Amino acid sequence: MNPRVAVWLVAQLHLWLGAFVVAVPMFVFIIETIGMMTRDERYDNMAYEFIKVSITAYSLTAIMGGLLSFCLVLFYPDLFKYLALIFKESMFAYALLFFAESAVLYIYYYGWHWLQGGNRKWVHLTFGLLLNAFGITLMLLANSWTTFMMSPAAVDAAGVFNGNTWEAIHNFLWNPINIHRVVANVAYGGSIVGAYAGFKFLSAKNKEERAHYDWVGYNANFIAIAALLPLPFAGYYLTAELYAYSQQMGITLMGGVFAWIFIIQAVLIGALFLSANYYLWCGMGRSDGASRYNGRIKFIAIVLVAAFLVWFTPHTLVLTNSELKSLGGPYHKYLGVFGIMPAKNTAVNFLLTFTFMSFMFYRRANKVATVSWATTGNAIQIALFTMGLINIVTLGVYYGYFTNTVYKVAASIPQVLTTLTIIIVSTVIDTLMYKGAKDVAPLHWGRMPARSQYALFLLAVSFTWLMGLMGYVRSGIRQHWHVSNIFRDASPDAYTPTLGYAANVITVGTIIFMAMVIFVFWLSTISGKHVVAKGYWKEQA
Amino acid sequence: MNIFLKVAAFSLVMVAGFWGFASFGIPQIKPAPPPVEEKVDLGAMTMDQFIALGGKIFNGKGTCTLCHNKMGRAPMLSDIGKNAPLRLKDPRYKGTAKTIEEYIFESMTKPSMYVVAGFGKSGTNDTESPMPDVTGGGIGLNPVEVKAVIAYLQDAGGAEVTVEIPAMPKAGAEAPKAEEAAPLKTAQEVIAKFGCGACHKVAGQTGEIGPNLTKIGATKNKDYIRQSILDPDAVIAKGYPAGMMPKTFGEQMKAKELEMLVDYLAGSK
Amino acid sequence: MTKKRLIPRLLQLVLIIIGVYFGFILLFDVALHQIIPKSLLTMYMLFVVAGTAMVFTFTEEGAQELVGPIKALVEDPSKKMIRNVVFVIVPLLAGYYTYTSMLPSFEAPMELRTIHPAPPSKFKAFGKSYNLTTLQNPYRKFEKEDPAKFKGLVKEGGDVYIKNCQYCHGDKLDGNGPYASGLNPTPLNFQDVGTIAQLQESFLFWRISTGGPGLPQEAAPWISAMPVWQDYLTEDEIWKVILFLYNYTGRAPRSWANE
Repeated sequence: MNPRVAVWLVAQLHLWLGAFVVAVPMFVFIIETIGMMTRDERYDNMAYEFIKVSITAYSLTAIMGGLLSFCLVLFYPDLFKYLALIFKESMFAYALLFFAESAVLYIYYYGWHWLQGGNRKWVHLTFGLLLNAFGITLMLLANSWTTFMMSPAAVDAAGVFNGNTWEAIHNFLWNPINIHRVVANVAYGGSIVGAYAGFKFLSAKNKEERAHYDWVGYNANFIAIAALLPLPFAGYYLTAELYAYSQQMGITLMGGVFAWIFIIQAVLIGALFLSANYYLWCGMGRSDGASRYNGRIKFIAIVLVAAFLVWFTPHTLVLTNSELKSLGGPYHKYLGVFGIMPAKNTAVNFLLTFTFMSFMFYRRANKVATVSWATTGNAIQIALFTMGLINIVTLGVYYGYFTNTVYKVAASIPQVLTTLTIIIVSTVIDTLMYKGAKDVAPLHWGRMPARSQYALFLLAVSFTWLMGLMGYVRSGIRQHWHVSNIFRDASPDAYTPTLGYAANVITVGTIIFMAMVIFVFWLSTISGKHVVAKGYWKEQA
Repeated sequence: MNIFLKVAAFSLVMVAGFWGFASFGIPQIKPAPPPVEEKVDLGAMTMDQFIALGGKIFNGKGTCTLCHNKMGRAPMLSDIGKNAPLRLKDPRYKGTAKTIEEYIFESMTKPSMYVVAGFGKSGTNDTESPMPDVTGGGIGLNPVEVKAVIAYLQDAGGAEVTVEIPAMPKAGAEAPKAEEAAPLKTAQEVIAKFGCGACHKVAGQTGEIGPNLTKIGATKNKDYIRQSILDPDAVIAKGYPAGMMPKTFGEQMKAKELEMLVDYLAGSK
Repeated sequence: MTKKRLIPRLLQLVLIIIGVYFGFILLFDVALHQIIPKSLLTMYMLFVVAGTAMVFTFTEEGAQELVGPIKALVEDPSKKMIRNVVFVIVPLLAGYYTYTSMLPSFEAPMELRTIHPAPPSKFKAFGKSYNLTTLQNPYRKFEKEDPAKFKGLVKEGGDVYIKNCQYCHGDKLDGNGPYASGLNPTPLNFQDVGTIAQLQESFLFWRISTGGPGLPQEAAPWISAMPVWQDYLTEDEIWKVILFLYNYTGRAPRSWANE
């Protein structure tokens, strides 16, 4: 076994599992709080079910973490020694926090039904908060070690540590990675429990079970979408900071060897958004009032697909020789304009806005507004969307093609703000407008086609593969350095692997991870089963 | 079970699709192999590496920074590119150099050909330099090292680097075998070889950087003298800064040479 | 239950996909005279097919209408004749497609050039070594400090350009000089928003002074015909020509300090 592949796979598995177990308590805590506020027991049960699923994953994460440090010590002892020298305090704190987290998790999980009602529920919620605090702190510490390897701080050019641990932890890329990972973890956790719900839905034996898991799947998908919306911005911020840290790293990432990564990324994110939207559209079938909106879905679909085509168009086209000759060069006169960032930013903002629109249609499907100003409200919302979209396009076109490059990146910020304004303002209007709205008919939870559940699986699978891909590139931009420009990788594996090679490793990793997840899900189902073994035990007198 | 198989198959097909696209749908760029690590292999050395080597010698083995530092013992070399041509034209210049490269080489091997005003040995009216010949004595740079230092000084001093990287010397040619064979015969020879006179007033030489050693035997015993040669910073004479005297004499001198020197100094009363 | 449609849903789906496919070809190849690359069109169509299929199947009725005819084709005894025909034609088509795509041809394999290869952090030219991360155009400052002098410098750069560069890159800087048609890859079009406007001046200095042979290995095959200009021009001339390139195209170099 090649040492690099071993460390790569184990680290990636640790990360997948870790992302899942860090994320689940976050939304479990929120769901539990919602349950407590609304006194709707369904939420409490769902929260319990989610944490039950993640409890085995927690031990698997720990096993993988142990395996990872073992692999590092075994294969890269010098690197580990160097990192341990700098981070010895935080590594020790990590171990202590890990014990604390385990203890809290067990109390939180096993005490779920014990700490119910009144003040006890408050105690339980506090444990949930503690669990999240420990979990996130653990992740932040681990992030600092990783980002130190990318953007070392508190060391001189020769790698001699100046003794300032906080400076080493708080290195240049630490916060950008933190933000990106927290948001992505929530989306990822949502997609994994979505897959769980999808599977339970498909194998449900009766109507109640179907209705329950349909509802759980809907919530999981909601969590995933809610976290997916800000994710492109977090990624953009991370990349901008990466450029700011080192232009060489930035160009290696976006223009050099790894440029094609982002075309694959576009395809995968395309799969994510399309499947999430498809699930929403299918979900409108639960409502009897949805057919009013069915006709508009195709327009959303057209915009989504068009936005993807723009996002996906590479700057450097893959051309056959005859095409190259016919075009007169590697630049396409018309498609070339889609190849650069401003076009892609515009496309992403459209994507987010229209995904949000899908969700609004879903929300409205079963309701009829009763407030007197409903028509005005609708008009305001339409105006808001129109103005916003026009603004996004204008910003993109003007700043992207008619001013200097200096402003190109800056233009993305007003675009993002426009999108956020649309989302926030129209949510507010919608909430007010549908206050006390009357339902068309009770929602038919469980009236959901089987194929919609496959959208949930696609969401989880694409997300997993995508995380693997981005893990490869994050680590890969260090090129032949363990610690950028300080600690060189002298092993024969110091070369940067090709995308195809990385794809092999990621695919193998994804399959192993899927097998683990299936195991975890299976464990959570057998724990409730009792087999009556009559005649096995001796009769009690 | 049926559903499980269906879901698993669906997921595998999707993963296979991503894998196929990443492997065949996009061009595979083979990243450049990592650059070769720096080695002291003159044949493969770039000028940058050669200059870096010179810098290492300048700050290390060459002991140049003992005097060429901000404390004003010797002129700073950061403007040598600008100053060298002026000095070549100076009437006080006694040497034969025509180019900056030759001038630097001359200054390193025959320092007294031009002495920057104010930096000469006292009493010589700037005609004699306190600097030792870097190819001899305790410093003993070999020709390759001298060239590397010249390259470094040209690069750091704002001059164009004209030095050519010399061919790799034949194996073994570098090691000064003859010297090792026979220990020196007298204390005067030891003092001359290790360049003590560059800093100290001793055996007819008039260095001024270190303490005067002409009467050292009157106040100090042999142990003190031996310790001061082997570990110069153990005791520092009053009025002199620590860290100036090279700490490498213990490795360079033979035991017999050291004892001869100690005897000689202890006898200087 | 479902109303009779003029065109059955399945046919609608197929027509839309075919329509979009030929729409792309018509738009780019015929109307705009810039063909759409096959590799790109394939991926475009993948998304179009996925999107259309999603729209057609998100309601239960829609899905039934779509699947109904296919189901009938396979199961309905009265459609035996068509079934047999389809079952013969489909494998034949698949086989034909596989055969043609695998058939060895005389076309040279696809070559991909990285247009913005990642620059090294340091490079050597004119017997000196330059640090690309800190390298600045020494004349850029005159743009603000001394516009008259800057104008003169740009003009000098223009002279250098006309004497050396325009033969390939064109007198309008559009990559269409007299020799351009003989080169593959064709010379860069500086007017394009995706070229020099995306780059720092130091990057241009690196590319001009070391030319095609100075490209890093990952940008291979470096079939670029760009000469190694440090052998023919002075450092000053290169910096001036860079001023001219930005000035003439009306673009500003990228700089990280302002972002």
